[in-house]
Amino acid sequence: MLKIKNLKAGTEEVQILKGINLEVKAGEVHAIMGPNGSGKSTLSAVIAGKEDYELEDGSVDFLGEDLMDLDPEERAHKGVFLSFQYPVEIPGISVSNFIKTSLAEKRKALGLDPLPAKDLLKMMREKMELLSIKKGYLSRNMNEGFSGGEKKRNEIFQMAMLEPKLSILDETDSGLDIDALRIVANGVNKLRTKDNATIVITHYQRLLEHIVPDFVHVLHDGRIIKSGGKELALELEEKGYDWITKK
Amino acid sequence: MGLIDNLEKYAEHQNLSKDKRMMFDSFMKKGFPTTRDEEWKYTSLKKVVKSEYNLIQKHSEIDNSIINNHSLGIEDKIVFVDGNLVSSPEVKGVHVSGFSDFDCRNNDVISELNSALAKSGFTIVVEKDTVVENPIEILFFNFTKNSFSQYRNRITVGENSELKIIENIQDLSKSSTLINHFTHISCDKNTKVEYNKIQNNSKDSSLIDCMNIFQNQDSVCEVNTLIFGGGLIRNNLNFEQNGTNCESNMNGISLLDNNQFADNHTFVDHKTAHCRSNEMYKGIYLGESKGVFNGKIMVRQDAQKIDAFQSNNNLLLSDNSTIDSKPQLEIYADDVKCSHGCTIGQLDEEALFYMRSRGIGVSEAKAVLTYAFASEVIENLSIPELKNLSQKLLAHKLNVDLDFSL
Repeated sequence: MLKIKNLKAGTEEVQILKGINLEVKAGEVHAIMGPNGSGKSTLSAVIAGKEDYELEDGSVDFLGEDLMDLDPEERAHKGVFLSFQYPVEIPGISVSNFIKTSLAEKRKALGLDPLPAKDLLKMMREKMELLSIKKGYLSRNMNEGFSGGEKKRNEIFQMAMLEPKLSILDETDSGLDIDALRIVANGVNKLRTKDNATIVITHYQRLLEHIVPDFVHVLHDGRIIKSGGKELALELEEKGYDWITKK
Repeated sequence: MGLIDNLEKYAEHQNLSKDKRMMFDSFMKKGFPTTRDEEWKYTSLKKVVKSEYNLIQKHSEIDNSIINNHSLGIEDKIVFVDGNLVSSPEVKGVHVSGFSDFDCRNNDVISELNSALAKSGFTIVVEKDTVVENPIEILFFNFTKNSFSQYRNRITVGENSELKIIENIQDLSKSSTLINHFTHISCDKNTKVEYNKIQNNSKDSSLIDCMNIFQNQDSVCEVNTLIFGGGLIRNNLNFEQNGTNCESNMNGISLLDNNQFADNHTFVDHKTAHCRSNEMYKGIYLGESKGVFNGKIMVRQDAQKIDAFQSNNNLLLSDNSTIDSKPQLEIYADDVKCSHGCTIGQLDEEALFYMRSRGIGVSEAKAVLTYAFASEVIENLSIPELKNLSQKLLAHKLNVDLDFSL
């Protein structure tokens, strides 16, 4: 589904990603771990299409298409979803209105009419239940005054509504208490199918107890320096990053 | 030649009373204000008054379909066509008639001119203890090419009464026109009055609007000014509080593009104690449009325990749009709460990327953020048809096909 080859990218001043190679197939869950500043968030931002970063070399292929040629919204239409580490507050737009617009725009791009209001509300209710989201939430302004946990839950709610093929969860566990973490992870697990894939970016092994990865990659200084199965995460938790980064 | 000459010639043939002649002479002596005048520093009438105007509006017939096209679908309508009152509603406890002359203090030369020569306008009297349930829509249509028209309107709302108005001035002449609109509102004790203005015209039509509101004790008055287009728009909105426990609210949206220009001048005169005023103006400027906001709040010495709030937030969506914003607070009482704030900014890049990553295209994302910016004013509109129209006009002006209602 996703093939990243020798990806080098950064800002005008510094190169942050220094040659990333990664392949993600449908049905898989990949975890990307690494210390602060290793380039985890840059990688997710580059995949999602943030314009602050420049592509210097390499390629990102998504379902046979060069992702780097597409605008962020086009990537979303193709099925890429980024759950933000710091979701943005948008005062003046309700959660329901935001999601309605987002879904309608995606459907428009795919040549579909907007969902009838009745179906949309039904879908929203189902997904809200999945994530134990309370009723009044839909009419609140997008992320405004949300707690850290509510913001993250809102990200996964949007993911559930947009039904992406590839989801990148950037530090979705930060700011979540253990109950919220369980709910969010449970939601992510329920949304998994053999046709979609997930990349979990995290600092800690904790989230991976709930969302069990097929592969774990360690990112350090803009490169993947070690890959392995889910045991690698446990090993990292135990020994810290030093034992690989110092090698 | 120009408007001044047109006016002089016109006035010669009018049988003006002594008072009106004096007012007209006073106007002629001073002429139209220029940018040297402090109150008109950022608003130049030079181009507008240089043009030639027709001072006599021709009487045209109007097709009902035109009225319906511009109406919000409100049942009770007052309709003016080229200065003639062609339709007025029957509402219990409300007396609607055409122009009836009245004297009042003139604000400036432009209201002097209005006072001297205006011969058209509406008069609404609401009896006391009358709650007018449905809003009344007032539509002014102009078809006369290159007309200079003046309206002089008066609303008197009796004790314990409530009234809601939507005013829409439509210039359909497809030519350069100028309107001098003057409205005097008296709100008696314990009244509730809401006045909504839709100002959405072509770049060739200019409007100078002056509204003076006098409030007695326990009255609440709200004016919403919704500007979606026009060549030159100047709104003078003046509140005078003459009794305790009054509340004056004013909200505005200016959404302008191309070379459009809009100036909102507000003045709240807090003369009595225990009163409130709230002011929220939002400006959105595209193209080479220009906005002006001047908000003056006066708190007189005896007006203790005043709570006055003013905000003017502006969004500049292009490199060539400008806004001049000026709060003016004059406070002579010592136990008052006054705050004001002004912001000028662009759309938040982080928020734009966030929305794009959710599949919302650039123009749509910008429109949604712009709507979000304006929503505080739009969402507060009490008349659903008006809220709906504002949402539609906003989407239309920003060139997107989005439905903001849900």
